[in-house]
Amino acid sequence: MNRLHLSFAALFLHILTSCSPSPEPQEDERSAKLLALDTLPALEVDIKKAALGKELFFDPRLSGDGAISCATCHNPKKGWGDGQALSRAYPGSEYFRNSKTLLNAAHARYFFWDGRLSGKDGETLVRDHITETHFMNLDGRLMMERLKQVPEYERMFRETMGGEPSFGRTLKAVAEFQKTIVSKNVPFDRYVQGDSAAISTDAKVGLRLFQGKARCVQCHNGPYFSDANPHNLGLPENPAIVNESMRHITLRSFFKFMGVDNFENLREDAGFYAVSKREEDRKAFLTPTLRELKWTAPYMHNGTLADLDAVIAFYDAGGGKAENKDPLLRPLRLSKKEKRSLKAFLLALSGDEVKAEAPEPKPYRVIENWTEVAN
Amino acid sequence: MIKILFSLVSFLILAPAIYAGTGPAMAPLGEVPEPADNRTTPAKAELGKLLFFDPRLGGDKSTSCAECHSPNMGWQDNQPICRGYPGTEHWRNCQTIMNSAYYAKLFWEGNATSLEGQAHAAASGAVAGNGEDDMMEERLAQVTEYVKRFKDVFGTERPQLEDAWKAIAAFERTLVQKDTPFDRYLKGDKGALTPQQQKGLALFAGKGRCLECHNGPLLSDQKYYNLGVPENDVFMESPLHQITFRFEQYAKGVPEEVYRKTKTDLGLYYQTKDRADMGKFRTPSLRYLKYTAPYMHNGTFFDLAEVVDFYDRGGGEDAVRKAFGHGTKSEKMKPLGLAAEEKMDLIAFLESMSGGEIKMETPVLPKDDILRIGRQNGKPEKQRR
Repeated sequence: MNRLHLSFAALFLHILTSCSPSPEPQEDERSAKLLALDTLPALEVDIKKAALGKELFFDPRLSGDGAISCATCHNPKKGWGDGQALSRAYPGSEYFRNSKTLLNAAHARYFFWDGRLSGKDGETLVRDHITETHFMNLDGRLMMERLKQVPEYERMFRETMGGEPSFGRTLKAVAEFQKTIVSKNVPFDRYVQGDSAAISTDAKVGLRLFQGKARCVQCHNGPYFSDANPHNLGLPENPAIVNESMRHITLRSFFKFMGVDNFENLREDAGFYAVSKREEDRKAFLTPTLRELKWTAPYMHNGTLADLDAVIAFYDAGGGKAENKDPLLRPLRLSKKEKRSLKAFLLALSGDEVKAEAPEPKPYRVIENWTEVAN
Repeated sequence: MIKILFSLVSFLILAPAIYAGTGPAMAPLGEVPEPADNRTTPAKAELGKLLFFDPRLGGDKSTSCAECHSPNMGWQDNQPICRGYPGTEHWRNCQTIMNSAYYAKLFWEGNATSLEGQAHAAASGAVAGNGEDDMMEERLAQVTEYVKRFKDVFGTERPQLEDAWKAIAAFERTLVQKDTPFDRYLKGDKGALTPQQQKGLALFAGKGRCLECHNGPLLSDQKYYNLGVPENDVFMESPLHQITFRFEQYAKGVPEEVYRKTKTDLGLYYQTKDRADMGKFRTPSLRYLKYTAPYMHNGTFFDLAEVVDFYDRGGGEDAVRKAFGHGTKSEKMKPLGLAAEEKMDLIAFLESMSGGEIKMETPVLPKDDILRIGRQNGKPEKQRR
């Protein structure tokens, strides 16, 4: 069974069955998962639309006070995240989670650490980021009028989107650009396609561990290396979400918006509970992809694990402590050598650095014949 | 009762001069009106003062109420067009907070029906404060000092944003200047106005016809008129102003035909969507005007001499007629034929309505607290898992 095709309804069943005493996956199930590890399908991209989206992605005028662009927290030079444990946010606020990489995000089943948006809807993801108070805090109507004040944008929108700059067209263009932020030349993909020399012997040992003793594949499976399900790993909180007032403010304001009860007294990240409102989902987060992790340290939803060694050590210990910790987690007893091999395999999931340079700024221009032209 | 008495006294003293107009009599500024659901108390006004100066009530914590309504700039910002939120410019002149408690409606097009509503609208608007409610409320809840003050004043366990606007409004109701030569004169102190100012008063009520709209204790009939105020050239020259101009048309929900066509601020029309209201703006009070230049809804006149010259010409061209084919300019606007000396007299009188400038130091704002695990506002708290 390919877990990528698990629905959220089936998730319940999955948790129930994984509570059963069966210590290891069955042999046939394991090989099914082995097959599920695969290359990502190619995405169809409208190149011109994506080029416009790229311009907008780097343009700070898509934020309320013009201070930050998408690229501020999804910086190509920082693995399309921001390299911080906890993301920064709109000026006057700070965020309480790690900025997720955009690398391959177009392949995600769900967006955000708590999976609150469908991965089919890149446009809504962009909208949420532009308008949400702690992200870019911009009124979409003002955004539209800003873009109309840039002659190059006016022209590009008409040529590629069939009309003047609008909120909806902007969302489409940026979402299209996101589809271009994908892995290139990944050793693991070459290996899957038949180049047995593409990954080292060490990494091949790591692959077997990944699918076997280290149990990674139970959640990190499918071409995207994620089951798209929430799990509570018992990861300790990042104390900064409470001890830094601006992060705590953002956290409460977010959970209030999500309709979480007792948000007033929240001193922790409620995780998937905010989506499902089921106690067992408290502090559970969606399995992230492992692709391109070479570029995306620090790790986990709260950035508390600084490097891959720390991540492997965490799982080797069976995760952390929590009442509703996922029973899939148990001590692994990996040897030093096994940890090295596992790390070698994990690094083989990362390809060439996906770079992008910020385009030349395109300044506002005064509309000279203001009184003669239509708005 | 006292107000009635004042009106009566002023009627007896000034009747010949003042009743050249048709509106209510000029009168000293009375007691500040207070809504029944938001009585002013010293503690509430003191909390409101802190909040008025606190940039937490805005998007990026850069823009408190006082940024655009500065006590050192006549409780507005002395710009033709208000500076607006970072990354934007506003599109209208910023009005003074001083004596604003007496208006029935706020803003140039009367789009807020209370000071409480005005505070919320200004703190939230994309080209003003750009704050978001949940975030602003949680910022207040992060400050133990505020939690305590809100509880004392409003009795709530934690600050409610609604109450922040109430406190700010209560503070604004303390910003009143009624100790002016004009008020003293109306109360019977004949020497309070110079002979020149007294001549100006006669012109104000008579030949100058100012009193037709600038009447009552506030010196505003609180009605809406198109005067044909010239456009502010900044809209021809500045991309940021052009952006905001279009944004306002879009945000205020006009038909697309109007959105595409208009290059003039349509004022009251945005509220009523009645084309007969295009280009009309609420008569502002004349009180405190010594400190609130530049003047008019778009700040297009830099001093009172320009304002008086404008009225003396009978106002300006009707931009609504030019753009939409139907005129809305007030018929009250007719050339006045004022002599140079009469203009000086009128200006001298106008300045008698201001009184002393009321300034205020920025208060020391309370700092964020860390709400530690297991403790809420200093009290032990039952902790969830």
